[in-house]
Amino acid sequence: MLLERGPFAGSKNMYGGVVYPRILDQFHPNWWEEVPIQRWITRRSTMVLTATQAMTVDFRTQAWGEPPYNGATAYRPDFDHWLAGKAEADGAVLVTSTTALGLLRDEAGRIAGVRTDRPDGDIHADVVIACDGVNSFLAKEADLFGPGQTEAGNYTVGVKETIALPKDVIDERFGVRDREGVDIEILGGTGGVNGGGFLYTNLDTLAVGVVLKLPALGAQPRRPEEIIADLKAHAAIAPLVEGGTIVEYSAHLIPEAGRSMMPRLTTDGMLVAGDAAAMCLAAGIWLEGVNFAMASGIYAGEAAADALRAGDTSAAGLAGYERRLGDTFVLRDHEKLRRAPGLVLSDRVQHHYPQMIANVVERVFRVENPRPKPGFRRIVREERKRAGIGLRDLARDAWAGIRSFG
Amino acid sequence: MVLVSRRPEWPEISFEERIGTTRFDVHERAHIVVDGSVCTDCSTRECIVACPANLFVPTADGGIVFNYEQCFECGTCYLVCNREGAITWTYPEGGHGVVFART
Amino acid sequence: MSTDVRAATSTIGVCWKWVDVEGDPRRAGVSAADQAALETAFSIAASLDAGTDSSTEITVVALGPVAAEQALRGALAAGAHRAIRIDASAHLPSDRVAAALADALDRVDLVVCGDYSADRGSGSVPAFLAAELDAAQALGLIQISVDGRVTAEGAPVVRALRRLDGGRREQLTVTPPAVLSVEGSVATLRRASLPAELLAKQAAIAVLPGPSAAEQHADTIRPFRPRPRVVPAPVGAGALDRIRALTEAGATVSHGETVTLDPPEAAARILAALREWGYLEP
Ligand SMILES: Cc1cc2nc3c(=O)[nH]c(=O)nc-3n(C[C@H](O)[C@H](O)[C@H](O)COP(=O)(O)OP(=O)(O)OC[C@H]3O[C@@H](n4cnc5c(N)ncnc54)[C@H](O)[C@@H]3O)c2cc1C
Ligand code: SF4
Ligand code: SF4
Repeated sequence: MLLERGPFAGSKNMYGGVVYPRILDQFHPNWWEEVPIQRWITRRSTMVLTATQAMTVDFRTQAWGEPPYNGATAYRPDFDHWLAGKAEADGAVLVTSTTALGLLRDEAGRIAGVRTDRPDGDIHADVVIACDGVNSFLAKEADLFGPGQTEAGNYTVGVKETIALPKDVIDERFGVRDREGVDIEILGGTGGVNGGGFLYTNLDTLAVGVVLKLPALGAQPRRPEEIIADLKAHAAIAPLVEGGTIVEYSAHLIPEAGRSMMPRLTTDGMLVAGDAAAMCLAAGIWLEGVNFAMASGIYAGEAAADALRAGDTSAAGLAGYERRLGDTFVLRDHEKLRRAPGLVLSDRVQHHYPQMIANVVERVFRVENPRPKPGFRRIVREERKRAGIGLRDLARDAWAGIRSFG
Repeated sequence: MVLVSRRPEWPEISFEERIGTTRFDVHERAHIVVDGSVCTDCSTRECIVACPANLFVPTADGGIVFNYEQCFECGTCYLVCNREGAITWTYPEGGHGVVFART
Repeated sequence: MSTDVRAATSTIGVCWKWVDVEGDPRRAGVSAADQAALETAFSIAASLDAGTDSSTEITVVALGPVAAEQALRGALAAGAHRAIRIDASAHLPSDRVAAALADALDRVDLVVCGDYSADRGSGSVPAFLAAELDAAQALGLIQISVDGRVTAEGAPVVRALRRLDGGRREQLTVTPPAVLSVEGSVATLRRASLPAELLAKQAAIAVLPGPSAAEQHADTIRPFRPRPRVVPAPVGAGALDRIRALTEAGATVSHGETVTLDPPEAAARILAALREWGYLEP
């Protein structure tokens, strides 16, 4: 049985905008022929912003615009609704408009189902899979988080505008055609709050938003919609988005701290998957969570089925879940990138490096005749000092960067 | 020729219009309750700036007025608020609350 | 509609207008008033059945495409006994809707409708339906009760309260066959239990053919927006006076006039008055 508190699957779900459904190959070969997407990502840009400068690394491949594809922009209310329909077709019973209020336990204190907010709403189950998203009250009730893991500092809030523009205007501004789409991740551009921005192309809308670190957001004066307005007014962004009308405004939390905030994933009678288990990968150039949620959900389902067949749904009987996670990208990517979130949200990466990089590039390309071009090394040294970055910090961050991303 | 950098063109939009683009099927029960008496002596007031839906409004007498209706159910408020007991946070009744379409 | 009303086992029909304003069936549904109509039917049924071993049957009918069945399943889960979908565009003219509903509700004693739909139609279907069924009508009700009193023929007596202008109320006594329409505030539709919700997923929904395509002249639907009315700038020396002038607060406004006329003249008089007061183009 699949429980959903919204009126339909996807109605409560908001994200930046790009899904990577490769994991579905094994269940629904040729899923791309029916998945309700907006555009296939064929262009990925990473943009570094300072108040007046922008530097973009822009990558484009036509290969991602053809089967088997790579990523796509999609509306979650469409994508999740479609995916839930697939689960139903495969035999799951989807019950919508029903909120799980808490866990049921048997006499021995073992988790034995959930209580819902409908009359007569107790659901007795041998295994509960808590995939109730970032706020997971079920995982909290089961006491699976360690001390400090649910501190505000481990979360960011994403706030987004969906902006309508005619398809041909989007095609022209972003240099794409047909179903081709663009994914722009933005470092900087969030004012005094650490975080980042994003800009994605849908068919006839843009998704523009910011991801803002908690609790820092609450300790400064700019409100989220003002920070988005500043981002949209940036000289590098404004020509892409101006003139459009907001057709939807939304917000959602992100569990940002990766591996270090993951709760225990297994207990007697229960598994935790997706954002509920902080499996979202938020590491600067990557913002992926839907694929992690789908994969962990699949593995949780397989492990639960194995446990039921073997007649042992204790934590030991459910151990197949973490084995599968450990063997695949779900935990491997998180292990590899366990230091990345802290690094990406650090003040140096957020404010000092963007300024330094932008200044270096500006000077490299600035023509100051009759003076000859300065040496690259000298520019870097001067700009590093100007940005107030010590050599040791740079070395340490570079090392952390290599270990995280390398 | 002089190139003048121009402000981008944005249609004026009030916060009410902005939040009006999102659909909320409001239930009669308030799913989030703020205990104003705890807020009176809170000096930090993180909720006011952090709530993306702008639902925490300071009053002249130092209190907080909270409206639950147009809430994203995101959870930011209970995370940023440091005061025990100020915010009682639950999800709305199944089928109610925010209903996204193009997110 | 049956004229031999049997108090023993009555049948109540509930009409729902399924509306898809946004062109997105996932976000479509019925109005709060339509939901209140079903809850009202439940409470009438409960009063009728109290202390007897009869069981009043409730049938919910909706016009619409297959997607409307989701809403009907919700009605079944909440406790309706039967659900009928009339396979037709959800936005036919009111008289066509009423005729189709009347066909489906041939043998019911009472019909309860919402007094507005999710797209704020004209609210005229209940009146057309009463005419089709040759039944009494009591529309725009804010309170309904059945206290066990029966007519000489044994039909239950429905007492109802209707909202009038100026905060006044009108008490009505209605005997079946009758069509009632209720405001959304009269009741909140109960939440379906989980077992009922699961059963309703499987339940059969009867489908009746709708009016032929030729009759289905579809109107365009859009969200409800009240028509603008030109209001002259208020006059007054101070801000307070202007606010008073604007809101008519404290003033004894009497747009009222009681006349006794034949229907055609009455209609003409009403139109003239509406023009005079600025509600209609001159
Ligand atoms: C601003 C932002 C941008 C992002 N960008 C991307 C991106 O571009 N690409 C990407 O892959 N990921 C992105 N993510 C991350 C991604 O959205 C999440 O990792 C992903 O949604 C997690 O999926 P989930 O199913 O675990 O949780 P959710 O998507 O939160 O789903 C949880 C579900 O459980 C339901 N639910 C919750 N509680 C209950 C309850 N008590 N009873 C019943 N039902 C309940 C909810 O209604 C919901 O349907 C982004 C996130 C944010 C906030
Ligand atoms: S809700 Fe919390 S943060 Fe906001 S004013 Fe009250 S105590 Fe302070
Ligand atoms: S849950 Fe989010 S939108 Fe709702 S009140 Fe709290 S911060 Fe605001």
